[in-house]
Amino acid sequence: MPPLSPSVLQRIATGEPAAVRECIDEYGALVWSIARRLSRTPADAEDATQEIFLDIWRSAGRFDATQGSDKVFIAMIARRRLIDRLRKTSSEPPMDSVDVLESVAWSDPGTASETSLEAEQAARALQELRPEQREVLELGLLHGLSQSEIATRLGMPLGTVKSFMRRGLIKVREFLHVDAHSVSEGA
Amino acid sequence: MSTPDPRAQPDDAVIDLLIKHITEGLSPAEQRELDVLDSALSSSYRRDLERAAAAVSLVAATKDGLPPALRQRLQQQADSHCATLGNPPVASLASRSARVPRRSRWAASSGWLAAAACLLLAVAGWYRSPSSVVIAPVAQLPPVAPSAPVAPQAPAPSLTEQRAALLTKQGSIQIPLGATKDPAAAGVVGDVVWDPATQTGFMRFVGLAANDPKVRQYQIWIFDGSRDKRYPVDGGIFDVPAEAGEIVVPIRAGVPVRVAAAFAVTVEKPGGVVVSSRAHVVVLGAKS
Repeated sequence: MPPLSPSVLQRIATGEPAAVRECIDEYGALVWSIARRLSRTPADAEDATQEIFLDIWRSAGRFDATQGSDKVFIAMIARRRLIDRLRKTSSEPPMDSVDVLESVAWSDPGTASETSLEAEQAARALQELRPEQREVLELGLLHGLSQSEIATRLGMPLGTVKSFMRRGLIKVREFLHVDAHSVSEGA
Repeated sequence: MSTPDPRAQPDDAVIDLLIKHITEGLSPAEQRELDVLDSALSSSYRRDLERAAAAVSLVAATKDGLPPALRQRLQQQADSHCATLGNPPVASLASRSARVPRRSRWAASSGWLAAAACLLLAVAGWYRSPSSVVIAPVAQLPPVAPSAPVAPQAPAPSLTEQRAALLTKQGSIQIPLGATKDPAAAGVVGDVVWDPATQTGFMRFVGLAANDPKVRQYQIWIFDGSRDKRYPVDGGIFDVPAEAGEIVVPIRAGVPVRVAAAFAVTVEKPGGVVVSSRAHVVVLGAKS
């Protein structure tokens, strides 16, 4: 079996200049999609996107394809940066309007725009959650609302929000973990 | 010491803390608590939870393309990054050219927020006339690597020449700079030339104290009147050599500055700051 060609991230790690620009084409939509939802203003989202790409270029050497897909790696870097920015401005009200919050549509397995194994697994895990659990995950993970803000918004006890968030993420983790074992066992 | 079993399920309280860390960040007290509990949590469990959160982000990701202006800035940033990779930071400005603007650093603590807000108020009434600016003989910083593709120039004009050319350009503005009461700024005079059209500019100083780049560096900030005043745009870092006389420093705004309302220079640790405990503003200038 011929060796896989190196990914954009791996090429950046080896110092290939063209890969740095290609990275923007490859992951720009993904980063922008996450940044828009986790930023308070469009200008913030643009600034954050620039910061995220710099983080990506600098962290490319840490990408390990055996630990997950490149898209999850990118999403993790993006989320870290965006959460950090949100935390620093936590005294400000969230930017997202109700319209924006309501615009999110969970993709069904097989139809997620970001095609990766993890996206498929996560979509399947989300389907097993109750609607109110999914809503908590959506507000927390996609819109960056704090657990307290989610509790207020949904009129839910904080403990319930924490419980939903915990069970939801554990469910997703289980789906990812199960498939990871399947891969390693099948290899 | 035993190694945590990666298959073991940690207590709910530990997971909740970790999830809060992943989804919204922790307070210092919560972070200390997590650090204490860290040994009870396998690293793979932590990574898996964060991976799960990232995977959920993928499920709802859209395919909307980058705004053209943002794409262009990213491409310029990519070129700067590549230039830096091939050139070790012989001059701090050169290495800085690849850095992304970090407006949020200004807001990293409440002290900074207050300082920034006060700064703008102070700037408005601080300065009187540009005529007081006096410039002494020139001693330049090392030339900097371009941060964006520019027309080939051989030989490259000096920073002083570039500044002079920009000053004659229609639409450019000149703003006097004045010193604060900071010891590093005693007797400093200078000015800013800024061209909104090309988003380029230069600061010129005389009398700014020399710095040891290993100990501290100067950092430029641009206050954009169209943006939240708590988030000035990072304009780059620079050093002042001993007995420099006049120095001219290019301003590198990584994000578009729509309304350049004021400029400031602060003293920061090498490489700039992420979180600064208090404002250390040495130079200020505001558009009248």
